[in-house]
Amino acid sequence: MEILGSVEVFLEMGLIFSILAMGYYVSYTILDFPDLTVEGTYLTGAVVFGLFVANGLNPWLGLICAFVSGCIFGAVTGLLHVKLGIRPLLCGILVSTGLITVNLVGVTAGLAGDFKAETTSIISFGRDTATLQDAFLGDLIPIRLKSLGNIPLRMLVIFLVVAVVCKILLDLYLKTKNGLLLRATGNNQQFVKMLGVDPGRSKIIGLAIGNGFAAVSGALYTHTADGVNQSMGIGMVVIGLASLIIGTSLFGKVKFMAPTTKVMLGAIIYQACLVVVQKLGIPSAYNKLIMAVIFTLVLVLGFKAKRKNGGVKNAKA
Amino acid sequence: MLKLNNIYTSFAKGTVDEMKLFEDFNLTVNKGDFISIVGSNGSGKTTLLNLICGTLTPDSGSIVLKDKDITALPEYKRSRYIGRVFQDPKAGTCSELTVLENFALADNKNKCYALGRAINKKRIDYYKSLLAECNMGLEDRINTPIGSLSGGQRQAIALVLAGMTKVDLLILDEHTAALDPKAAETIMELTHRLVSEKGLTAVMVTHNLRFATDYGNRIIMMHGGRAILDKAGAEKDALQVTDLLGIFNEISIECGN
Repeated sequence: MEILGSVEVFLEMGLIFSILAMGYYVSYTILDFPDLTVEGTYLTGAVVFGLFVANGLNPWLGLICAFVSGCIFGAVTGLLHVKLGIRPLLCGILVSTGLITVNLVGVTAGLAGDFKAETTSIISFGRDTATLQDAFLGDLIPIRLKSLGNIPLRMLVIFLVVAVVCKILLDLYLKTKNGLLLRATGNNQQFVKMLGVDPGRSKIIGLAIGNGFAAVSGALYTHTADGVNQSMGIGMVVIGLASLIIGTSLFGKVKFMAPTTKVMLGAIIYQACLVVVQKLGIPSAYNKLIMAVIFTLVLVLGFKAKRKNGGVKNAKA
Repeated sequence: MLKLNNIYTSFAKGTVDEMKLFEDFNLTVNKGDFISIVGSNGSGKTTLLNLICGTLTPDSGSIVLKDKDITALPEYKRSRYIGRVFQDPKAGTCSELTVLENFALADNKNKCYALGRAINKKRIDYYKSLLAECNMGLEDRINTPIGSLSGGQRQAIALVLAGMTKVDLLILDEHTAALDPKAAETIMELTHRLVSEKGLTAVMVTHNLRFATDYGNRIIMMHGGRAILDKAGAEKDALQVTDLLGIFNEISIECGN
């Protein structure tokens, strides 16, 4: 039963972060843009969603608005890069730094109408807060499965559904003209220019999608944290990139699998690794260090695998 | 058709290394011209193409294409009227996309890249017929990523893509220089066919003097930012590779080499 509990934890986390990782697939793998904005937009998504449900609004609408808010700030990063020529890493640092204020004021303004951000900085979901759990297929799926170690079945199903819907939408998008143009932009900007299109526009769209996905990921995470706190976004770059690179290097040679599927599996495997490490009895304060170490290992291994295959694009950070 | 008026271009402007290349440079390209541009390194051939395509903007002067001043137009907007094939076979195609995907993108040039399905299955036969004309067996490799094709094959595809949608001007930037002699020959033949069949206006920079004399109706030799030789029609036809070599030698002696 204890094992079941662990499986449930990494599946839950894996599904949440698989959306973040799919966002990174767009910005990092396709566009070759190391995007640090997600540290901010992940939390922004959580804040927007948190405010919706805390104010008793429809949580699905909250999820969509979280996505949109992520898209907007992702586009800001893109604009800084494309229009002002600021380097990718700096753009991400600038926007995510600015978002610290936006997220802080957003919470206090949304909860108490306080624009000085002097009251509370957290949103906590109470028993009566209607989250996605309360707006999903009525009572068709039990909230907890008592016979199987009391695992929160409905939550898992919701995460799975949202993640799969995100995956399908992304797959469909990448098959459109605009999606193909995005792939061409990451591959050969000169070619895109020759098509009479400004490659900058594609970059902005790609970063918007990447951060929209990060925001959805953050919005889902509020369900496991029962609310929003201001440190939720920390470490998201590492989680997102590690999941992405684990997925694409482990299943790199599997032809029949869509890249988005590989990325989802990568996110789940990464979380499984973290759970195993925790089960070894290492205190939770060591979590982030272990995350960074595992990521480094994956980078090195991924780099070697890529070198054998001739390319190094996915292995560099 | 295309006019370059009083062009001034310099590099490293405002520093001690300032190098003035074009000073009051003028060029008129007539409709239907197939111009070969030859000249030594640093004579301004590629700079000229970069000015036409918008990769560089002149310090002063104007560039007029079909009575429209395009001097201030960014490169990607000029691409609506201009097709370009580069020296590097990697530049003209997307290596991570398949042959079909490259065709689908180029087929949509000058239209909107919206949320419609990227690949129109009805067009595949048309793409295959274009590929079949290259005689490289490419029509059977439509689902192969471009990156696994050879340089010659990639350049052939780049050429077909550049000429697939209607362009006013085709720019060929040493497009056979990176290929082996056989592939270069094939690509040059393809170029000739494309230009004559579609009645394109083309400007080709080349170091291959035989290509320069054999193909096209006009030849320009550049030196130090000036066109020191500009011959068209019968005068151009009479020009031999040895004549060009002779002029090259004269220039080198002048320069003290």
